[in-house]
Amino acid sequence: MIYSTWINQFHSVFLIVCSLFTYVQSDVPRPRGVSLSKAPLYSPTKDFTCFDGTITIPFSYVNDDYCDCFDGSDEPGTSACLNGFFHCTNAGHRPLNIPSSRVNDGVCDCCDGTDEYASGETCTNTCEELGREARAEAQRVAELYKAGSHLRLELIEKGNAKRNEMAEQLQQLEKDKSEAVQIKDEKESLKNELEAKENEALKVYREAEEQERQKKAEEEKQNSIRESLEHFNKYDVNHDDVLTMDEVIIARVFDKDQDGNVDAEETKYFFGDSDSVDKDTFVSTTWPLLKPLLMAKDGLFKPVEEHEDIEQEQEGDADEAGDLDNEYAGHDDEASDLDLPQDEHEEQEQEAEADQSNVYDEETQKLVNEATEARRLHSDAERTVREIEANIRKIQQSLEKDYGLQQEYATLDGECWEYEDKEYVYKLCVFQKVTQKSKNGGAEVGLGNWGEWAGPDHNKYSIMKYTNGIACWNGPSRMTTVHISCGLETKLLSVTEPFRCEYKMEFSTPAACDESHPTAQHSSHDEL
Amino acid sequence: MKTLGLLLVAALALSGSYAVDKNNFKTCDQSGFCKRLRGFKPEKSQYTLNLDTVLVHGNVLSAEVNTVDTSTPQRTVLWHYALRLSALVDGTFRVEIDEADPLYPRYRTQLALKEEPKADGLKLLSNENGKLTLANTQGQKVIITAEPLLLEFVNAAGEVAVVLNDNGQLVVEPLRVKKERIDDDEANVVDVQEEEGTWGENFKSHHDSKPRGNEAVSLDISFPEADHVYGIPEHTDKFSLHTTTSGEPYRLFNLDVFEYDLDSRMAIYGAVPVMYSHGTKRSAGVFWHNSAETWVDVVNYADSTVVSSLVNLVTGGQKRRVDARFMSESGIVDVFVFLGEKPADLFRQYTALTGTAPLPPKFSLAYHQCRWNYNDEDDVRGVDENFDVHDIPADVIWLDIEYTDRKKYFTWDHLKFPHPAEMVANLTAKGRKLVTIIDPHIKREAGYFLHEDATEMGYYVKDKDGKDYEGWCWPGSSSYLDFFNPVVSKYYAERYQYDNFPGTSKDVHIWNDMNEPSVFNGPEITMPKDCRHYKPPQDGNDGLAAFWEHRHVHNEYGLWNIRATHEGMLLRDNSKYRPFILTRSTFAGTQRYAAVWTGDNAAEWGFLAVSVPMCLSLAAAGVSFCGSDVGGFFKYPEAELMTRWYQAGAFQPFFRAHSHIETKRREPWLYEPATTALIRDATRRRYALIDFWYTLFYEHSIDGLPVMRPLFQEFPAEEDTYTIDDEYLLGNALLVRPVVEPGVTSVKVYLPGAASRTLWYDVDTYHAHHANGYLTYDVTLAKIPVFQRGGSIVPRKERVRRSSALMADDPYTLVVALDINGTAQGSLYIDDGETYEYLNNKHIYAKLTFEPNAMTYSFIDENAHYPTRSWVERIVIAGIKSPPKTAKLTQAGKQTALQMTLHKGNDVLVVRKPAANMAQPWTINFTY
Repeated sequence: MIYSTWINQFHSVFLIVCSLFTYVQSDVPRPRGVSLSKAPLYSPTKDFTCFDGTITIPFSYVNDDYCDCFDGSDEPGTSACLNGFFHCTNAGHRPLNIPSSRVNDGVCDCCDGTDEYASGETCTNTCEELGREARAEAQRVAELYKAGSHLRLELIEKGNAKRNEMAEQLQQLEKDKSEAVQIKDEKESLKNELEAKENEALKVYREAEEQERQKKAEEEKQNSIRESLEHFNKYDVNHDDVLTMDEVIIARVFDKDQDGNVDAEETKYFFGDSDSVDKDTFVSTTWPLLKPLLMAKDGLFKPVEEHEDIEQEQEGDADEAGDLDNEYAGHDDEASDLDLPQDEHEEQEQEAEADQSNVYDEETQKLVNEATEARRLHSDAERTVREIEANIRKIQQSLEKDYGLQQEYATLDGECWEYEDKEYVYKLCVFQKVTQKSKNGGAEVGLGNWGEWAGPDHNKYSIMKYTNGIACWNGPSRMTTVHISCGLETKLLSVTEPFRCEYKMEFSTPAACDESHPTAQHSSHDEL
Repeated sequence: MKTLGLLLVAALALSGSYAVDKNNFKTCDQSGFCKRLRGFKPEKSQYTLNLDTVLVHGNVLSAEVNTVDTSTPQRTVLWHYALRLSALVDGTFRVEIDEADPLYPRYRTQLALKEEPKADGLKLLSNENGKLTLANTQGQKVIITAEPLLLEFVNAAGEVAVVLNDNGQLVVEPLRVKKERIDDDEANVVDVQEEEGTWGENFKSHHDSKPRGNEAVSLDISFPEADHVYGIPEHTDKFSLHTTTSGEPYRLFNLDVFEYDLDSRMAIYGAVPVMYSHGTKRSAGVFWHNSAETWVDVVNYADSTVVSSLVNLVTGGQKRRVDARFMSESGIVDVFVFLGEKPADLFRQYTALTGTAPLPPKFSLAYHQCRWNYNDEDDVRGVDENFDVHDIPADVIWLDIEYTDRKKYFTWDHLKFPHPAEMVANLTAKGRKLVTIIDPHIKREAGYFLHEDATEMGYYVKDKDGKDYEGWCWPGSSSYLDFFNPVVSKYYAERYQYDNFPGTSKDVHIWNDMNEPSVFNGPEITMPKDCRHYKPPQDGNDGLAAFWEHRHVHNEYGLWNIRATHEGMLLRDNSKYRPFILTRSTFAGTQRYAAVWTGDNAAEWGFLAVSVPMCLSLAAAGVSFCGSDVGGFFKYPEAELMTRWYQAGAFQPFFRAHSHIETKRREPWLYEPATTALIRDATRRRYALIDFWYTLFYEHSIDGLPVMRPLFQEFPAEEDTYTIDDEYLLGNALLVRPVVEPGVTSVKVYLPGAASRTLWYDVDTYHAHHANGYLTYDVTLAKIPVFQRGGSIVPRKERVRRSSALMADDPYTLVVALDINGTAQGSLYIDDGETYEYLNNKHIYAKLTFEPNAMTYSFIDENAHYPTRSWVERIVIAGIKSPPKTAKLTQAGKQTALQMTLHKGNDVLVVRKPAANMAQPWTINFTY
């Protein structure tokens, strides 16, 4: 525990006065380390009462390098109180309050060097220079904001226009939608009507077809059994009606992995996990496995092996595989959003079927054609509705986004900027997502999707947060904060990873050049 | 810093478990010699001293010892051995048993002893009835029984304190030629029975070729009437050692153990084969001077696990005795026996042999901030600045392996650290330092100067066939410098020259990690035992005699590494500045060169708790400069654990926060402000006591006593203290009981010294407690119990600044805690904090005494001075019953009346601003 903290705990304190004060009052207007605003609290003609009111001490105890007050107020100019502050005037630049522990520690903390009056350290007064620089910087910033604010106004205008446009679009779309739905309903009832007729007419044909198909299937089955038994007998060298490993070891077709050997593993694969098979099992279990290989051997059938190989390679690189999956998933989303509904596939198949067996009588054919046309019209109508709904959702989502107080960020939505460092290309798609791609190839890694504005309360629109990126190996999901500053050009200035899997982007844009905002006037309002 | 385990982290994350993979490390049964020796239980020792050969010369008795086949009436002599018993100063004896004429020289550990031990006189008092009685000049005796060989060490009080070979487990396996047949005394040819594994052993996929066959040594050591034994770090077990008969022995074999276990006798990074016994009767100790793999069995007859028939047999049922048995894979029997009266005497005797830690540079006792890794120069700058933004003091920023150019030590990653010198200058501007890591594995990469030099000059450790040994470590394929070759050590030392390691300066210090050595693909993650090390060429030493095997030297390897580093750092400025080195591998003597941390722990309460017994054990074994990774290396510490760890670490000698690269960042300001504030408070406490710590380390460098010490060191007669290892003393003044339990509002604290009516003052409130054993003490999240002993004076610096260097001239607050007689003493050491000038009398070593009538500050070293600008700003006197009326300071003939404030109800008197300068003695007189 630090003494000053300890002493704080006592309330019954009295002094044993046993020495005389020999302190000579100086005629300084305020004690060292006191700001002008606090100067009246230090009156050399009176005893000093600590700011917290707990103790009153002779004024000679102020700045005598001994901490008397719990709150440190008696030692504004020394390092005696751990919880005190030293005020540097820093004429020519900004004033500064530093912790008392930085007084006379050999490090120049105040630009006027007043904090090092007894440490032996000679500090050069750099306030003029720093002040000049600061003013120049403030000037630069002010000019930047001024120039930027014009561009910002344009962005606001465009943003508002974009929003209005979207709102109008939305209205129009809603209207379109109700019309489209009406059309769709009409087409649907028409379709239903015609299909009922078609069904009736096709019933006869369907039954015939079904019979034909069953007959064909039975024939195929018998063929298959015959063929399999032929093979069985061929392999069953000793004719004991049981195939063993010894018997198939010479049959190349059993060499599934094509390593030139038929091993136990392979035979087990074909034998349903046992060492031998009888005829029945051969027909039911072995043959279905063997047939494709035989066909492949004869060049009749292209096995799926190649494809499997590709998959295995991909497994080697989990990230890539994952990303491929994602991309596919992405396509699926688009598909369902836009067009190609699943039942259309079915309909096409039906049509194809109809084409193949184009043996209806004229009357039936006519009904079929009418129904087909009705289905086509209906599905077109349905697609139109879905398209409109998708557009509505998109616009609604955009309208729900917070594009800044004055819509100044609206036009940036969906726009992308890239930044390259030695290893990676980073891409920020504003209000969408952040990605990283290695220059050595490999898939894009998501560093986060648009989350929210995350600046401090007084400056909410200074930081964007993109969250829920791809999870780090053995760690959290990646996320990115985008720190926005005023700049005449919209661009990514830097990308770093200060914390593991937490990326930080510096992004400049005129949209941030808000002259009315404190940041813009920070320098100019300060005491210079 | 870290282990191979990074590669396993993914697997762990899946299984969710955190534990050592025991399969990677041998059990006694899997270690050929341990199994062999542990199975060896002779009824009676075969080793017999030949009384006709006894010769006492100077401080040495030498004699021939033979193994005799007592089962034959002829009493066939099996083998000849040479025994040496030396009397050394300060009540220490040394016993060496080697083969009389070994096939090739057996390895004698080279670096553990700081110098040739100093001789005492040795006199043969009597030689009768098959017993020799000898005495040194201190009144301690050795009684040697010839048959079977038995050595009893009698302390100054006339009591047998240590007995060697009482259980007949002395073994020195003779070196043999493979498939040898030997002649016995009567010229009969006797076939040697070849046990399996004699000429080769396997462990997992590794084969140890064992070209010299079996060469193990063993000895049992008994401590009659002892209650406990301690020592043989480094383990995660309790400070007081357990009986091992029903499980594994304690293992001493320096290993990089990924996610090491708690409460385990498994070997980890360090091995210091020193053991102390203590009890109400007496204390004693032994140092087993051997650098090979060693296993130690312990039997404490008071343990409930020891079967009563054995207790009756050995101790006559009185349950007060501890037996230990040391088993080493190679070397000779070389054991030092300490006959100190008290534990403190033993600690002194041990450090007299192996050395004390030299005075460390002052900054190294302050707070260290480490992480694997600070990414780049911006990161370092940011961390440095944040300490100031959050007003938390810090002295050192550390760089782990990622600062290098792809793990090539003595190089920088030029993209991440393009301007190391500027980065260092930025730190030193505020009095801060940098520590960079340099591991002993060398990347095998064409074009890397170190690898090319080492390959060309033959500087690497060789494999069993004499080719450069290649292992796998951080850089990938790596080789290991053979520091045993003085040319290699010199070459290595020169790598630390500023020219050879650009960007470094006197303010850059070194961390030698992975120096067990860690070899990811080696047996037990270390170097194969049949690798070859340099041995000075000597006539007749060819073939197997031309080199040492790694098995002989293993535990010493890291010591050779840090010794070369130490040499290199001294070279940098012509031995002007004191180096700071941190090592992970530890052996006897490590303390002479480096501080030690407890390796890769985890952010778990158990690891916080075990940091205390681990460091106590190391401190007793000479390594006072010890600490654990604050916050835990693996995993992430939540706020409470982090807070408690900072509070504990602030009161442990080596105070460094560190973390694994895969864990969430955890610098103090990344927690909630309330937690940051608690961490700030804990860290400031350390800085306020920085001169107290510095004084303790100065005193340690002189007397060798642990800085962090067990309670029984100061209160040896107090039985309750013997098993206490969750609290400890700093010097003799502060008692620390870190809170290592989650969510508690009170803890049990033991206050020793009831017999001497000791007072203990809570350092937060100055409230005095009479020592009376255990009490339950209230704690908050802001508090851990720390007490100042009544009768002590502790110097403090209340003006905590950004770094300890910036506090050098600051004034002192002297905290006087009065004993029941109203008196107190303390000491204070002051110097420039970083150079060796203190050895030229440029320092102050002063005594502070408080008597009711006067407080004085006087120089213990009267010839030594240092022009400090520090002064006394405040004297706090706690426990004052009748306050004085006046106080008057006298310094350099000048008198000043002082003002005092009494804090009533707490008996605390504060003397306001005496302003006496500390460069000169002073006195304050009180009148009542």
